[in-house]
Amino acid sequence: MALTISGLSKTYPNGVKALRNLSLTIGNEMFGLLGPNGAGKSSLMRTVATLQDPDSGSVTLDGIDVLKDKNAVRRVLGYLPQEFGVYPRMSALDMLHHLAIMKGISNKTERNQMVDALLNQTNLWAARKKSLSTYSGGMKQRFGIAQALLANPKLIIVDEPTAGLDPAERNRFLNLLSSIGSNVTVILSTHIVDDVRELCPRMAIIASGQVLLEGSPAAALDLLNGKIFSKVVATDDELRALEASFSVISTHLVGGLHEVRIYAGTNPGADFKPVDSGLEDVYFLNLATQAASQAAN
Amino acid sequence: MAQFWEFFTFELKLRAKSLSTYVYFALWFFLSFLCIAAEDFLNTGNDKVLLNGPFATTAIYIIFSFFGCIVIAALFGTSILRDFQRDTYQIIFTKPITRFAYLGGRWAGSFVTTVLVFTGLIFGEAAGTLAPWADHTRIAHGAFHWYVHAFLIVTVVQIFFLGSIFFTIAALTRKLFVVYLQGVVFFAVYLVINAIFNATRSLEHFWSAIFDPVGLRLLDAVTRYWTPVEQNTLQLPWSGVCLYNRLVWMGVGVLSLIVVYALFPLSVETLTSVSQGRRAARERENDASAAQGARSLVAARLPIIHQVFNASTTLAQFVSLTRIRIRNIFTELPFWAIFCVMVMYAMLQGHFAGHFQDQNVYPVTFLMLDAVRGNSFILLLVVATLYAGELVWRERDTHFDGIHDALPMRESTDWLSRLAALAAIELVLLTVVMLCGILSQTFAGYFHYELIEYFKELYVIVFPQVLIYTLFALFLQTVLKNKFIGHGIVIGSFVLLAVLQAHGWEDTLYLFGNTPSYTYSDMNGYGHFVPALFWSITYWLSIAAFLGVLSIGLAMRGADDGWAARMRLFRHRTPRLMPAAVAFVLIAIGSGSWYFYNTHVLNEFLSAPQRRDIQAQYERDFKKYQFLPQPKVIAVDANVDIYPEHRSFSGTGHYVLQNKTAAPISQIHIVDTQQSISNVRFDRPFHKVSSSKRDLYTIYALDQPLAPGEKLNMNFSVGYNSRGFRDGGERPELAYSGTFFDVGYFPTIGYDPGFELTDPRRRREQHLGPVTDLPQRGDPLGSRTNLFTKDSDWITYNTVVSTSDHDSEGKPQIALAPGYLQRDWHQNGRHYFAYSMGDVKTLDFFAYVSARYDVKRDVFQGVNGPINIEVYYDPHHPYDVDDMIASSKAGLAYYERNYSPFEFKQFRILEFPRYRAFAQSFPNTVPYAESGFIGRVVNPQEDIDRTYFVTAHELAHQWWGHQLIGGAVAGSNMMSESLAEYSALRIAQKKYGDDQMHKFLKHELDGYLRGRASEAHKEPPIVLVQREAYVWYQKGSLVMYGLADFIGEDKVNLALHNFLMQYRYANASDNQDAPYPDTRQFVAALRAQTPPEYQYYITDAFENIVLYDNKALTATYVKTPDKKYKVTLTVQARKLKSDGSGNETPMPFADYIDIGVFSGKKGHEKTLYLQKKKFTQPKQTFEIVVDQLPTRAGIDPINKLIDRIPDDNTIDVTKP
Repeated sequence: MALTISGLSKTYPNGVKALRNLSLTIGNEMFGLLGPNGAGKSSLMRTVATLQDPDSGSVTLDGIDVLKDKNAVRRVLGYLPQEFGVYPRMSALDMLHHLAIMKGISNKTERNQMVDALLNQTNLWAARKKSLSTYSGGMKQRFGIAQALLANPKLIIVDEPTAGLDPAERNRFLNLLSSIGSNVTVILSTHIVDDVRELCPRMAIIASGQVLLEGSPAAALDLLNGKIFSKVVATDDELRALEASFSVISTHLVGGLHEVRIYAGTNPGADFKPVDSGLEDVYFLNLATQAASQAAN
Repeated sequence: MAQFWEFFTFELKLRAKSLSTYVYFALWFFLSFLCIAAEDFLNTGNDKVLLNGPFATTAIYIIFSFFGCIVIAALFGTSILRDFQRDTYQIIFTKPITRFAYLGGRWAGSFVTTVLVFTGLIFGEAAGTLAPWADHTRIAHGAFHWYVHAFLIVTVVQIFFLGSIFFTIAALTRKLFVVYLQGVVFFAVYLVINAIFNATRSLEHFWSAIFDPVGLRLLDAVTRYWTPVEQNTLQLPWSGVCLYNRLVWMGVGVLSLIVVYALFPLSVETLTSVSQGRRAARERENDASAAQGARSLVAARLPIIHQVFNASTTLAQFVSLTRIRIRNIFTELPFWAIFCVMVMYAMLQGHFAGHFQDQNVYPVTFLMLDAVRGNSFILLLVVATLYAGELVWRERDTHFDGIHDALPMRESTDWLSRLAALAAIELVLLTVVMLCGILSQTFAGYFHYELIEYFKELYVIVFPQVLIYTLFALFLQTVLKNKFIGHGIVIGSFVLLAVLQAHGWEDTLYLFGNTPSYTYSDMNGYGHFVPALFWSITYWLSIAAFLGVLSIGLAMRGADDGWAARMRLFRHRTPRLMPAAVAFVLIAIGSGSWYFYNTHVLNEFLSAPQRRDIQAQYERDFKKYQFLPQPKVIAVDANVDIYPEHRSFSGTGHYVLQNKTAAPISQIHIVDTQQSISNVRFDRPFHKVSSSKRDLYTIYALDQPLAPGEKLNMNFSVGYNSRGFRDGGERPELAYSGTFFDVGYFPTIGYDPGFELTDPRRRREQHLGPVTDLPQRGDPLGSRTNLFTKDSDWITYNTVVSTSDHDSEGKPQIALAPGYLQRDWHQNGRHYFAYSMGDVKTLDFFAYVSARYDVKRDVFQGVNGPINIEVYYDPHHPYDVDDMIASSKAGLAYYERNYSPFEFKQFRILEFPRYRAFAQSFPNTVPYAESGFIGRVVNPQEDIDRTYFVTAHELAHQWWGHQLIGGAVAGSNMMSESLAEYSALRIAQKKYGDDQMHKFLKHELDGYLRGRASEAHKEPPIVLVQREAYVWYQKGSLVMYGLADFIGEDKVNLALHNFLMQYRYANASDNQDAPYPDTRQFVAALRAQTPPEYQYYITDAFENIVLYDNKALTATYVKTPDKKYKVTLTVQARKLKSDGSGNETPMPFADYIDIGVFSGKKGHEKTLYLQKKKFTQPKQTFEIVVDQLPTRAGIDPINKLIDRIPDDNTIDVTKP
């Protein structure tokens, strides 16, 4: 399985340019898609999930033209949209059975096995006969995961899957996703850097509809090794002063004080300490660079 | 107070910003505007009632305020619910506000807004009066005070109490669903109760008026007998029942405000626990159940499955989608609300299917289907409209579309499953309707279930029509981006169709989803309606199916809802959909062409306005000939061959015409309204002078004029050939079984005023003056003209009629015409019957009938020998045959004894299909519609046996109409209709007793008073009656019975006998051209038998319009020493004379009026005392001693006199 995205552009009727000539190649792997809100992640995912046509560009999946032969893609697709609702007064069990039929699982025994397994995996077994509309946010999200994994999909697209999950469920989901095994393409879109760090051998950072960085998280981290420095300051004035003189990647509040991380080729001194780089630094640095280049334009 | 003001103005500001406020206002404005500007929009009265008069205004406001209950619910309900919907209540109720400020401000704001919204009614009405195209003869100007009065007494009061109730319910439940549902529920429940009340035909008008929240019953109770003059001047008064009603309901409003003030909790905790508690609890419970038990964090491998995508997968997808969609609908409360309304309606209508006007009938399947189908059809359309929106939008509305749209299925599978789900729901509902019908039949004790008829009607005829609308609604919802606009268009188009049809746009081919009207008849089944139904349904269903295919192409899928994206998808889907689209278009073109060929080429298509144009043109062109001297028909001889299987007949006719005038006649004018005459020839040289379009009016000139007294032979062909089918308007006279046409298919000599337009409004449209009345009594020409047949006095009649031995069902038919059967024979697969009246002269009024009949025969020994009684009936309807024979015998006996011997040796009753509903008396032959053959008497004490009554009535016409014929002058109609009605009353009285007759007369009184209240022209005294059926029927029986009460049955019958013996068979011999009798001679005959002190009654009742206003004032009793009871009764008597328009003037009087005392409960009184007393004073007191404990007493207690408020004639007798 390999997904090739090339030259994708999309402008919405309200003038928002969601995708700008975006190209990516994704193999049989867990692929993380990082980006801030409005970066175009969901537009990209919807395009690959056959729900939206781009203005230009092409998407192919193992030789299938995704934009033309949509049903061929849908047969191998597992899709969890960022936001979704459920029919009122339907139980998870009935709904999963329905979706299993829709996905061509014609054998009843197989269908039962799969639905039961997924209900167990997503910890919905006890509530399987309850109406979906009574589910809490986390349970609903787990149901979404379950339906995406029906029918052994070859292409899994999950948009912000861990939003709304408590830490234990998040771990369980990530385990489940990683266990699905080889020969499956998984695109995981998120703005939670840790999801990608923990799960994805490859990733891309996108913003404003463009790819800022594509590669493995490890390689990206290597580039920053020894170039991240941190300092703790107490007041807003000090923070403003630092922003003026350094390329600040991020600030965190630690015990009421600002921990400032900057990117620099060498140690700038002035109480800055070198620190280990994290994937988050990669992310913020890329966004900051892009913002700067846009401002320059 | 400041807080109150804050909330109040906040509410007003919010409403002022809301679009819905203006939409509601505009809605009322336009509805009210249309009522005035477009006369047909809402019928509030006859031609003499002002469109914007006080009565019409009140009626309009009541109706729209009633519809407005849904708007009232929405406005009041949302004001209190707003904080809970938007979760602002947490903020508001944590602030120190008072209950009064919060509730009062919200309520007052809503009240003011709602009142302002409803003022649209006033402004719309005012604007309507200015419309230049409106009918300004029916609009009064400067009538603003009428609007305001009606608005206050009807609308404002209703807004107050309904709004308060809805406000209270919304505040205490805090559920949006309840807010919308309560308006609908109120609406539906009221309609049901109102329908039940109407169906009982109760004459109770007091309590029902007081407790009517909407005002339909109240208006009816107060204005029931208002004449047009009163309807144009009087308002609903702030007194009497009106005042009580308004007080009761304002009281309810105040009470509900007290309730909400007392019970509304003003703390967040209490409020939350109700609105959110249950939901939160469920979520907690679910989460808790999930957390049970520790699970391994290691993910187990998911099983391997195999995907199959083939045709059976598509089917499985379709089934699964359809199933969850049906389930979705079934689990929704609104669906069950509609379902319950439907069942309620169907059961209610089903219950009354066995009550046809004021009689009981067997609830045969066609009646039951009529009853249960009517309202159900509307509800089915509501379901189709509503759920088309829900089904198309459900995925998007629930945000499930992301998952749903990415499923591996075809658009067609998805879309068709929506259609299938809706269709399944509709089939379920139709089945429910069927079960309600069967259940209702069972409850009515009728067990002849015709499942096949239910099936045909509901599944084969109704269901496809519903499906057409379903496809249309699905199409709209698919194409449009707003669900509610879609609903609006579907409902709008349904209304538009009705409006178009009312204005002469009648062609089924362009009225969406329309089918021509049809009538099921037990004699004929769906008969000749089948082809038109089949082809129109095929035509519209294929067009709708094409829209369906288009919808599949345009169905939204995915996130992009822009038209560019949808067109891209459409082009992509087109190739697959093309074959189906082409097929449906071809079917539509094919069936449409065939329909057009039948309805426009084989038959002439005429809309109602076009038909009126023809009538008006006829009058404009030929009215000038109305009094042109013409010869009269004195003999008819005809050969008629009926081909029932082709709904056709052909034949030849021979008339002998005689010049009965004193001058020679050189032109013969022939009117042919049925396009059935051809080949007219005379026995001497002649030529055609002119002929109008469709040969409606043809003038022939005789080369040698017809001398006075001379006779002329005229031969002609007569016949009508049905070709193909029509777009509605099939001739009811021609049927596969039950052909029944009369002399109207034969040539009329001279101008026939019967073909003129009579509706005053239509005449105004055509710029025709008022319709010509019959001339006054004594008019030289009118007096010499037969009332019934202008072109003939009496005729001799011979005919041979034949019919098919193998009709459309391969069965033999019997053909009938008036006269005695001379012989019958079979020839060439046809059955011939020769009928003759011999030497007996009859009215020139004959009919031809042919049907599959069973026959029942009986013989009555008349004074001049045996009389054969024969009933020809459809085998489905054996029920009333014996009843008809019994009535015929009773009638013959009574009429021969009291009036004169029966003229004929036979009396036959023939059933004909219910395309027309009447019975008609031809010489010794009475065709009677199917509806008369299913009459049923369940309880002889209570039920009116209408079949028995009508049979006696038609039989009586053999005397009053066939022996005694009046001249074509004012009043003559009463000498046939009133006397037949009186005769029939006597026959029914002999069988069912006096009490039943009093009950019957009470309904006659109600019918008369209502008839005159809706008189569009002017009411005549009965002896001058023109065409006012309520005068010659209802008033006729009242005054004849009233007279008999004064002078006795014997004296009345003696007067009738003398009158009949003197004037019967006027002009019966050839050459005779003398005056016919009129009501002057009739009144003289009555006066001759009436003692002087009662002569005033004849003057009042027959020669004038006189109304009484009698009333019991007080009644008390004391026990006398000899254990009797002395009743002291004070009564008021007033007598008023009315002119034709209803203007009344008090009359002096010296009248004899009944005084009565009764025991027993109201409605079940037993007479203790009943005597006529002479009244000269308006107020009189009587002392009456009776033996038993008196309960009721009064003046004219059993309503023998015409009194507009009969209920106040008696009162309870109390101790002083």
